[in-house]
Amino acid sequence: MRNNVFFRRPLSFLLCLCLPAALPAQVETGTDDNAQLPYWQWQSEGMSIRWIQRLPDQTRAFFSARQFRAEDAERIAQRCVFQTIYKNTAPATADTVITYDLADWRILPRGKDASQGIYSKEAWLALWQQRQVPAAARIAFEWSLLPSRHRLLAGDYNWGMITFGLKPGARFDLHIVWQKDGETKTATIPAMQCALDVHPQPASSE
Amino acid sequence: MTILRYGFLLLSVMISPPLLAGEALHPLADKPLAADFNLPDMDGKRHRLADYRGKVVVLNFWATWCPPCREELPSMEKAHRLLAGEDVRIVAINVGEGADTVFTFTADYPMSYDVLLDTDSSVIRQYPVIGLPTTLIIDPRGRIVYRAVGSRDWADAGLLKTLRKLLRP
Repeated sequence: MRNNVFFRRPLSFLLCLCLPAALPAQVETGTDDNAQLPYWQWQSEGMSIRWIQRLPDQTRAFFSARQFRAEDAERIAQRCVFQTIYKNTAPATADTVITYDLADWRILPRGKDASQGIYSKEAWLALWQQRQVPAAARIAFEWSLLPSRHRLLAGDYNWGMITFGLKPGARFDLHIVWQKDGETKTATIPAMQCALDVHPQPASSE
Repeated sequence: MTILRYGFLLLSVMISPPLLAGEALHPLADKPLAADFNLPDMDGKRHRLADYRGKVVVLNFWATWCPPCREELPSMEKAHRLLAGEDVRIVAINVGEGADTVFTFTADYPMSYDVLLDTDSSVIRQYPVIGLPTTLIIDPRGRIVYRAVGSRDWADAGLLKTLRKLLRP
């Protein structure tokens, strides 16, 4: 056992453990444990973002329960909503600062040549004002969406919904932009897909 | 013995970074004065920030539907018990929800510290808060000295030490 290289050279072993942090950024996809829905995750350089599909039915239910009229809840549900978890994953002792502005992000829908911006929280809030949506509903909406811009220090993270403005089931590439310690970085998340407008039934026990 | 030592070292390397990352409190360089508020709790009793002057206040902005808010509530409850008898108060300000919603929620998530209701979100707008949950630490002089965005383990020994340290500057 003591002839094992890891025990003869413990430092080498520890360095090996640190190597994954130095690997190039990757897009990971799979099924989110909590939501049981598909997710896409970008992780690199002290930052991670996970986008988890939300079924249109979940979105209808969420906003209908918060004083939105059915037609307005439907408007949101039909705009491709993802739950988003945005983290600064640097160790607490680091001075790393991550900033972003969702206005910089672009969507390229599958089969189209022109990209588009995401459907912003500000555009929604203006619409709700115009449609005289109750104040309580507007407050719930405002705080449940991912902040449009933010500054995340080491260990900080935020959750919130993003509306991409596409139809259920639409496929697209997402181009993201952020700043790490003032330096602008970009990445593209390929082949994302909005959730289909399906109505899952409870599994039968028979 | 050597194997055990390296094993322990290895375990430390694997476990420490996420724990450290989770418990970060970030100092606010300018230490702005916290805006006073006058908010009801679930029983309708009103509370002002000024009522807590002379104490350290852990001011947590949250909502029942927010997953990371729910995640940190058990540790906040534990911290409240660990800090009993000390001049540190946990004050949770719910944003945008009514007393009935919050009361029902506390059946699953016990909250024996002060829970106040900012139903029209007028108070949260006076604070440097962009997303939920955000927690601000207010020192006994009423200044915001630390900020945490996202959930934390509030019962963490290092974090409690930071709070207690504010009592004897």
